[in-house]
Amino acid sequence: MNAQQTGAPKITKESKNKIRVEFERTPLKERLKAKFINMAFVGGVIWYIFRLILLIGIAYIVLFPFYTKIAGSFMGRDDFVDVTVMLIPKDFSLDIYKFILLENQYFTAFGNTLLLSASAAIIQTFICCLIAYGLAKFKFKGANLVFMAVILTMVVPHQTIQYSMFMNFRYFDIFGIIKFLSGNATVGEIGFLNDILANINIFGAEPSSKFLQAVVEDGAFNLNNTYWPLVILSLTGLGFKNGLYVFMLRQFFMGVPNELEESAYIDGSGTGRTFLQIILPLSVPMMITVFLFAFSWQWTDDFYTTLFFTTNKTVLMPQVVEIPQSLETSYPGQNLYYAAIRNTCGLLIILPLIIMYLFCQNFLVQGIERSGLTAD
Amino acid sequence: MTNELKLNNTVSEQKVKAPKKRRAVSLDRRKARAGYFFVLPFLIGFIAIYIPMIWDSIVYSFSRVTIIPGEGSITDFVGWENYREALFVNPDFVKTLISGIKELAFDIPAIILFSLFMAVLLNQKMAGRAAFRAIFFIPVILSTGLMETIDASNIMEDAMEEGGDYGTETSTASEIVSAIDIEVLFQGMKVGTELVTYVATMINNIYDIVNRSGVQMLIFLAGLQSISPAIYESCSIDGATGWETFWKITFPMISPMILVNSVYTIIDSFTTNQNTVMKFIDGVYTQSNGKEISSAMSWMYFLIVILIVAIVAAIASAFVFYQRKD
Repeated sequence: MNAQQTGAPKITKESKNKIRVEFERTPLKERLKAKFINMAFVGGVIWYIFRLILLIGIAYIVLFPFYTKIAGSFMGRDDFVDVTVMLIPKDFSLDIYKFILLENQYFTAFGNTLLLSASAAIIQTFICCLIAYGLAKFKFKGANLVFMAVILTMVVPHQTIQYSMFMNFRYFDIFGIIKFLSGNATVGEIGFLNDILANINIFGAEPSSKFLQAVVEDGAFNLNNTYWPLVILSLTGLGFKNGLYVFMLRQFFMGVPNELEESAYIDGSGTGRTFLQIILPLSVPMMITVFLFAFSWQWTDDFYTTLFFTTNKTVLMPQVVEIPQSLETSYPGQNLYYAAIRNTCGLLIILPLIIMYLFCQNFLVQGIERSGLTAD
Repeated sequence: MTNELKLNNTVSEQKVKAPKKRRAVSLDRRKARAGYFFVLPFLIGFIAIYIPMIWDSIVYSFSRVTIIPGEGSITDFVGWENYREALFVNPDFVKTLISGIKELAFDIPAIILFSLFMAVLLNQKMAGRAAFRAIFFIPVILSTGLMETIDASNIMEDAMEEGGDYGTETSTASEIVSAIDIEVLFQGMKVGTELVTYVATMINNIYDIVNRSGVQMLIFLAGLQSISPAIYESCSIDGATGWETFWKITFPMISPMILVNSVYTIIDSFTTNQNTVMKFIDGVYTQSNGKEISSAMSWMYFLIVILIVAIVAAIASAFVFYQRKD
């Protein structure tokens, strides 16, 4: 461009097959000036710096509480009365970890909660996929009504129905069928249904922890203190925030082109097989996202676990959060010390989630990016 | 099996009559059936478990339940007794309700604005975008349920920031900015003091807001991803600035998401355990004879919030822009 203004480029013939073209180039200084000293570039740099500072600031806000928890967990007793100790432990000690692991039944709770969360999350992911696929890809009478019902389950807070939920699973009996079958059974002497149910022990857990053994009491099943309530809620898509999962997955399935399924149908595959072999493999990132949500929200849940597990027989995560007996003291830094212990309990509880998140966060972002989530 | 049916469907109409005449089922009908099959688990659960639970909860709010060990429970109908007690006898319920709704009105715009802003930022191309995204989604996964309960009465963080002051309340000391600072900033501008305090509280509650806007951020990000890059390209060719592009393209295209997110935020923030009204109702639940009253309270609360959701959805949907799909 510049060359045209100052004249045509010089062309010299070097040899038979070679020519040399010489452009008159603008000096480097000028070019740099044109590139860097203008409003667009300066504005861009300012915006870049501003954005970076903002993002780092918010990242700090997110991460700082975790840092205080970690720092506090390594502090010894004396650090909590020492004014000079702020963010870095001086009297380094592992006592808090040691006694929580030894005295708070952490490992029992870990095992039980893992079983509960993993089974609930797997069931919820699959069931929500089913429901969402049905709602996204099939036109049937009342489809909108079903979708409204899904939204309703999301809207009604679980506190509103907590008492009836408790009572429902305390006296579990669908439309009086069980009462009819087992006759007028009383405690101890019960119909054949209980024999069947009492022997269902799906996960092969040790007999002492009867996760899935229901007891017939007062003419109905008492499902509390077992895993049944949560399993049943998950199987029917009524678990914690399942409405949200169905919503997310529905949007995702709506974005999957119909041609995929049509070609599968033409090739002679049925709807069920199409779903299992074509649609599900496509939606793995989205499923991992839902699984991640379901698992971690069930893992840290303290609503359902305290509602359904009324006795302390089944040790779950909420019971880990307490002060170990060996650490009970009274001294000026007591409040802070106890706060640090509770925070360490929290850290130990979410440790598996952190590890899982590190592996899955890529899928989380991917799943969302590919979902093409739209709101119509 | 479906294969067979399909053959039957196409062949029997034109060719010779099949010896066994089977009624042809159209593809639509079969697909409709399959649809029912897919939503069957939810339908069963909704009809057999959820509706009875909702019904029971309404019944409980109108009655008094006595559990007799060995026989079951007796439900006595007491009419509006529980509602009367919640509204007029309980000294704190109405107060908590009003302050809870005020809190809601404050939180929702803050969360929506913040999550939209963050989503737009995180959608831009830059170094370390994946890392920032990963960090910002941490609260969604980790700061829920139990962690929320632990954090609710956490004096560690304040103490760490302040150094001294152990055991004392440091809520005022840990404020990032005070309303006065911002007032100085806004001096001369015609901005009301209410807006000033609003901004100040918003900045001070930033941790809370960041924590609660994870899902919203995800939804906005997904919405931003679904806007076609071609539109932005043609905009930049026509010489639109970033600011103009945001208001003329991004904002209208993302407006359905704003509606979804406002509804979700309202629902989410009033169903969380940390909501003041919910905490209050939980407190009542654990009292003796408080179960029925807490049912009554939560139904009243639920109706109020449904009303709010309906109003917000009605107002917002008037401004929502839907891209026509051709």
